[in-house]
Parts: sequence; structure tokens; C-alpha cells
Amino acid sequence: MGYLVDPDNWEWLITARNARFILEGFLVNVQIALIAMVFSLILGLGLALLRLSRARAVSTATGLWIDLWRNLPLILVILYLAIALPEPWRDAYESAAPGFLPDVLQTGRVFAALLALVLYNSAVLAEIMRAGIQSLDRGQGEAAAALGMSYAQRMRLVILPQGLRRMVPATISQLITLNKDTTLVSIIGIQEVMRHGRILTGNNFFGGVQAPLLQVLIFIGALFIVVNLLLSRLSRRLEIRERERTGTTPEPVSGVEDQLAVARVD
Amino acid sequence: MSALFDVLTENIDEFGGGLWVTLRLVGGAFVIAIVVGTFVAALRIAPSAWLRRLGGIYVETFRNIPLLVLLTLSYAGLRRAGVEIGTWTAGIASLGLYTAAYVAEVLRSGVFAVSKGQIEASLSLGFSYAQTLRRIVLPQAFRTVIPPLGSITIAMIKNSAIVGASIIALGDLLKNARIVQSDTFKTEESFIWAAAGYLLLTVAATIAFRFLERRLAISR
Repeated sequence: MGYLVDPDNWEWLITARNARFILEGFLVNVQIALIAMVFSLILGLGLALLRLSRARAVSTATGLWIDLWRNLPLILVILYLAIALPEPWRDAYESAAPGFLPDVLQTGRVFAALLALVLYNSAVLAEIMRAGIQSLDRGQGEAAAALGMSYAQRMRLVILPQGLRRMVPATISQLITLNKDTTLVSIIGIQEVMRHGRILTGNNFFGGVQAPLLQVLIFIGALFIVVNLLLSRLSRRLEIRERERTGTTPEPVSGVEDQLAVARVD
Repeated sequence: MSALFDVLTENIDEFGGGLWVTLRLVGGAFVIAIVVGTFVAALRIAPSAWLRRLGGIYVETFRNIPLLVLLTLSYAGLRRAGVEIGTWTAGIASLGLYTAAYVAEVLRSGVFAVSKGQIEASLSLGFSYAQTLRRIVLPQAFRTVIPPLGSITIAMIKNSAIVGASIIALGDLLKNARIVQSDTFKTEESFIWAAAGYLLLTVAATIAFRFLERRLAISR
């Protein structure tokens, strides 16, 4: 315990640009999580709609696709794609990546990581969205159809606004999981917070103070805890606001995300 | 097709040994997750506000920290600090304590799912508080949480692959498959067999939990 709180072991944090260096690494994680989340939401919605298609073959094939990616360990997919992603794909990403992204995020290696994260999370989100849509009363869709709305109108105006609202807590839960999962990309050598931490504890440290690994990792862990707690607070806020605004208690879907990361308000 | 099976038969020691390591890792972590998870859930519903807060801190800490940070911290971090900790201990403890936070949350919500009327009825029938908890609340709470416990277990099986990929580098299924891959350059085949191994474990867990659920289902 003395070792843990000994001020000498925390000196690295206020030395040189060490704290800033860790935060810069953490920012890469956050950016990877956000980029992966945006693409996963888009792809996930597409998959959910295909999964609910009335054409049996389409729905079964989509179901198999979703189950495959949902049930593989994410790290296995990341490691596989890091080895097996064809060179032309990497080059295409490198030339297509927008210039405002930091340099770390413009390498072909990041494409493998992003692709793995999107394949995995879009499958999980598709299940969340499907559960949200299917939790609606059948009468909603039938009533909309009786009013003469087309399939697209029913989805856009009646089903999705209600169904997607129910999936907000589960989606934020998944975003928290995704945020944590971004540390896995350090294993394929992307310079994010874990790698930055290891650099500070190695021999090429800055500022003359070698950082103790335990303290660095506690600091990194604390960053994740803070950001993820803020996210789950946001989720609770949204739920309360929705309840006040509509005067009803929406029934959030849960249990289909990878791991329940947002506490249900009991 | 036969090339695919050749990779398996020629490296059966690596794949079989890896699967066995993964299985022991998951089994050990499962025991820790259930024991610690139950204890933390008990804290979370304790009559004392301080105990509840303590349970809350455990859950929020272990649920919001990346597993990779825990694995690195418990092995390399502690070693640098002078605490000699073995690879197995670090791997099983990290995976188990991480999963325990999820188990605790699920158990807590299971207890809350038992309606208040049942507890009041039981108390008014003259059961003590401990008897009510043991005979009325917990048996029902346990049944309602079987499906979520199943998904937590499946997530844990998948998360166990991180142990071998981390600095701990236990020779689990994924680690050994990567060794086969670097020896033979049969990338697709190696990863397909690793994936098949994990699917085998998750499907087995799904079936086991479905069986438990059916066995213990209460007709309402």
C-alpha cells in the first residue's frame, strides 16, 4: 500500500509532458470508438432491417451473419484481420482516410482494427435494434398500414422512432463496451493509450523520471472509469427526460448487448 | 477441404492443448465470478448504506475498466511493484473479478424482480428475515437470472481470448492457433479452427444454460 501511494511513484505524472502524452493516447481510443460506433450504427440498422425482412432467405442469411460475428471473440477477429487483410484494401484506406484525422488513424493497420470493431459491434447493435423494433405492439405497424402508409413510411414515421428510442440504454451500454475494447488494438501495434503507457515505463522515458507501470495503469484505468461513468449517467438522464417528456415509461430493451454496462433503473 | 482438416490433425496437440487451457481458464474464472459476484450483490442490497456504497464502487470500477488494463496491471504491474504473481493466478483472477461485477448486477436485479408482496406475505406468515431471503427470495431470484447469467458466461468465454493475447500470454486456444499460424503460414485454417473451438464452447454454454432454465422454470 505504501508503494501505491508513495508520492515518488506518482512524480512521473507531473513531470514533463507525461500526463499529456497519456491523454493523447486516450484520445486515439476515444476517436476509434466514435468512428467505429458511427459505422456500426449505420451497418447495424441495415442488418436489423434485413433481419426483419419478410423474405425468408434474406432474414435467415442475415441471422447467420449476425450470429457469426457476435459469437467470435473480438480479439480473434482483430488479430486475423491484422494478418490477413489484403494489401490493396489497406492502401485504399490510407488514401481515402480524411486528412483531419491524426496520423495514427491514417495507417492501414488501423483499418484492420476498425473493420473488426465494426463487424463485431454492428452485429450486436443489429440484435439490439431488432429487439427494440419487435418489442413494439404489432398494432402500431398494422394501424400505420391501415392508414395507407407504405413500408418505408411505416418504418420511418412510426416504427423506428419508437423502436430506436427503446434501444438507447442498450446502445450506450454497447458504446461503453466498445470504448473498453479499443484497448485491444494495442495488441496489433497501434499507438494508443496502452502503448503510450508502456513507453513511459520503458527506458526511453521522458523527463528523467521512469514511470512505475502499476501507477500508469491505474491512471489509464481511471480515465476509462470516468468516461464510461459519464456515458452511463448520460443514458440515465436521457431515460428520465424521455419519461418526463412523454409522460410514459418506455420499456428499454436490454440483455442483447454484449455485456450489460448500464445499470437499469429499478 | 482436406487441407483444412490436415492443419487440424497435424497440429492437434496445439489446438487440443489450447482448448484445454481456455477451458480451465474459463472454469476458474467462472467460480470466482459467481462467488465474488454473489458477495458483491449481497453488499449491494445490504441494510447499511456504507456497505451498499462499497458494493457500488466495486461494480462501477470493474465494469468500466478495460479487461486488458486489468490483465496487464495484475501481472506486469504487480511484478514491477515487487509482488510475484503467476500467469494463471493473474489470468483467472482478472477475468473472474471483471466478470463478477456483471454477475453482481444481474443478481441484484434478480432480487428486485421478486415482488415485495411475496416478502411481506412471507414475513407475516412468521418467517424470519433470513428465512425469507433463503426460502422465498433467493430461489426465485436465481431462476430469473439464469438467462442473463448465460450471456455473461458466453461473454466471458469470448473475453478469455484476451488473456492469451495480453502480456500474460498463457497458451490458450487463440495463442496456440497463432503459433500454428506462424509455423505453417496457414492463416485461414489456423484462425478457422480457433474460431470453431470458441464457437464449440459458447454453443455448449448456451445449451447448458437453456437446460438449466428449463429444469428450473417456474410456471406462472
